Amino acid sequence: MSSGALALPRSGRVSWPVRAGAVLAAALVALPLFFLLLRASQAGWAQIAALVTTPRVIGLLGNTLLLAVTTTVLCAVIGTGAAWLVERTNLPGRRLWALVLALPVALPDFVVGYSWVSLFPGFHGFPAAVVIMTSTLFPLVYLPVAAGLRRFDPLLTEVGQSLGLGASANFFRVVFPQIRSPVFGGCLLVVLGILAEYGAFEIVRFQTFTTAIFTEFSLGFDTPGACAQSLVLVALGLIVLAGEQRAGGRRAPGRSGPGSRRVRRLPLGAGALVPLAALGLVVLVSLGLPLVSIGYWLLKGNSSTLGPASLTAAAGNTLAFSAGAAVLATLLAVPVARFSLRSRSWAAVVLEKASYLPQAIPGVVVGLSLVFFAINLAPVVYQSSVLLVAAYTILFFPLALVAVRTSVRQTQPRWEEAALSLGTSRTAVFFRVTLPLLAPGLAASFALVFLSSATELTATLLLHPTGAQTLATQFWRYTSEVSYGAAAPYAALIVAISIVPAFLVGRSAWSKDAA
Amino acid sequence: MNTLTVEGVTKAYHNAAVLHGLSLTAPNGALTAVLGASGSGKTTLLRVVAGFERAGLGRVVLGSQELEGPQTFVAPERRGIGYVSQDGSLFPHLSAAANVGFGLPRSERRGRRVDELLELVGLAGLGRRFPHELSGGEQQRVSLARALAPRPRLILMDEPFSALDASLRATLRDDVRAVLKAAGVTAILVTHDQDEALSLADQVAVLRGGVIVQAGPPPQLYERPADAALARFLGHANFVDGTVDGGKVSTVLGEVLLAQGTGLADGHGAVLLLRPEQLKVTAPGLRGSRDVVIERCQYFGHDAVVEASDPLEGSREAWTLRVPGHEAPTVGSRVGLRFQGEAWGWRKQEDHKPRFPLS
Repeated sequence: MSSGALALPRSGRVSWPVRAGAVLAAALVALPLFFLLLRASQAGWAQIAALVTTPRVIGLLGNTLLLAVTTTVLCAVIGTGAAWLVERTNLPGRRLWALVLALPVALPDFVVGYSWVSLFPGFHGFPAAVVIMTSTLFPLVYLPVAAGLRRFDPLLTEVGQSLGLGASANFFRVVFPQIRSPVFGGCLLVVLGILAEYGAFEIVRFQTFTTAIFTEFSLGFDTPGACAQSLVLVALGLIVLAGEQRAGGRRAPGRSGPGSRRVRRLPLGAGALVPLAALGLVVLVSLGLPLVSIGYWLLKGNSSTLGPASLTAAAGNTLAFSAGAAVLATLLAVPVARFSLRSRSWAAVVLEKASYLPQAIPGVVVGLSLVFFAINLAPVVYQSSVLLVAAYTILFFPLALVAVRTSVRQTQPRWEEAALSLGTSRTAVFFRVTLPLLAPGLAASFALVFLSSATELTATLLLHPTGAQTLATQFWRYTSEVSYGAAAPYAALIVAISIVPAFLVGRSAWSKDAA
Repeated sequence: MNTLTVEGVTKAYHNAAVLHGLSLTAPNGALTAVLGASGSGKTTLLRVVAGFERAGLGRVVLGSQELEGPQTFVAPERRGIGYVSQDGSLFPHLSAAANVGFGLPRSERRGRRVDELLELVGLAGLGRRFPHELSGGEQQRVSLARALAPRPRLILMDEPFSALDASLRATLRDDVRAVLKAAGVTAILVTHDQDEALSLADQVAVLRGGVIVQAGPPPQLYERPADAALARFLGHANFVDGTVDGGKVSTVLGEVLLAQGTGLADGHGAVLLLRPEQLKVTAPGLRGSRDVVIERCQYFGHDAVVEASDPLEGSREAWTLRVPGHEAPTVGSRVGLRFQGEAWGWRKQEDHKPRFPLS
């Protein structure tokens, strides 16, 4: 390759509508953080500092950190162990295990919480929180580690053997360094999940920052206390996100050559029974129990003290809000991805990093800051669907960006240039080259944001328009009233929305790997 | 007539000029190779001609139409210039046939023209394959067919063979040349590979420091390069000093006959270019030859490139010579060296060593 091509700066090729769209997206995404800081400065930093150091906040911090550490360690052990068993041994039924070990992450935590507490009313507090969070979050470690192990060149372990390494030395000196990044990255995602969770903790009555902020909100609606706690929570999230970004930079383990495609699996023989039982227990707890519980309540049925509600109306609202957010997030992700991939300016770098901020900002904080924004600056949109769609768009913008980015990376200028050199007009280039290449990413982005929005609870509770219930809020009303039977159809629909696509994606991903 | 004329084109990125008032003429129907080292601005030149980049200074004229000038800039989609990139840049969402038909009017996209072109590049029957189902060489063939489909006035090729392995490269080169000749199209190919440029092109233009330092038919460039650096860039070279006297120069290898057209006159101090194949190996100790010691021998089968040191003059660089493979001498042996033919040369300056090391 001639270095002339390397020397070409791409900044000149980003048109102004792309820049404008990217700036608009960044402004929207930065909104919650901006209003959180604005609110804090209004309350006065001295007051905030005093509120941050109260025994209550320190207690919450202790609770949150203890839960985060315990759950993360469990997720790391279960996720890595399961990945190794499925990818590196001759465990029977690997294809099925690969699927069912990934599915629990699609179950919303608050539905899992409901499924436990509705069956075991005494299941509360720290142990309940650990079990529920571990059972839904361990796939966040399992999936990247399994992918890393699949990519890992088996030739390397043979080189290790030839250099005199035994089995355990080989694992720690050859295999583990290759999967360290996915393990670490997965663990940080687990921590972010715990920091953001509200519904499950409320159900098992375990106090963390999110539940405390929510309580403050329902008491006083816009208190300095909620603001101070939000700041601590966001600060924790930002620290973890910074770590995640650093780990992400080193995530792809390099393959030095074409390597070997042949995988030699460790024969387990009769010893397979122990890992089989362990994996069976994991799947039973994480997937079996929630599904059985929902099924049980569906069959049992229950009359509610609340007035009759329409499942179809709630589903219709969920559909409309989620689709709106999915379209908006996807449309905004395109200019950000294009700008950040085609320009090497510092503005593009800052813009892209800023777009991942919502990963560190829990739904409760986004909800709170949007309420503050609406009340003070745009009362018209308060308690309207606009605010809820905006919240979903902000919360799940990182997902949209990741999906769209992959496709935008594929629409390299060289294809557009090739089309131009063949005499195609610029409009025709967009429809015949750019759009077809973008389409898979746009579809993936739409699906991801739609599914995440449809199963979101916390921000929905704070922002849903008066009188317009969604599946999640109606489920929450019934659950709060201990009307488990009435909540079951909503739970079933939410699970169907989240788990069916995950199931299909998991299956197609497997068949691609097998090909 | 589709002769391309580039006049005084200057192009800078971030205040660093890549092209410094470059001028080049690519004759109608001929294949011109632009030869330059990495970073010499070859790709930039192509992108300016294609219209992907605006030079801002200078003129680009194709036939009688000005494509870029002080008052004009024709958009790339209106230039009628085909472009074949290093890796083909096939649209990944389209089949080979759809790629070839991309630039044709809608009615012709499924017609005879596409099949003809696929046949022309030797890919008849592979039209339904997608780019990822084609080998690197096949992708380049599709890319060439796609560029030829709208009957362009000029084809630009940016190192089209560099991503391929050696054996494939040779076949594809021959085929591409044949296809271009059959289409009768004017073409420019940029490359950093001297052998490729010399063996393929009707005209070779060497790009260095942002300008074309010399352009002409391949033998002219190889045998009569403009300066010592260029001589070295185009192949192995030995240089000797001497003073011109009656069409001859007396050097360490004895009297050397001077070629016509060097502009050297009696009494001039000269630097002569002795190509390795102009040096002949003789038995040691003969009159009129110089004894040297064989230091290294790179054997290629058909011939061998030999480096020999000169025991009489320790500071002198090694001699490089080329001999038929079956005559390759043994390393360490002492042989005689003699010059045969006529030598090209230049006026001697303080330093005849290349000021722009090119290879």
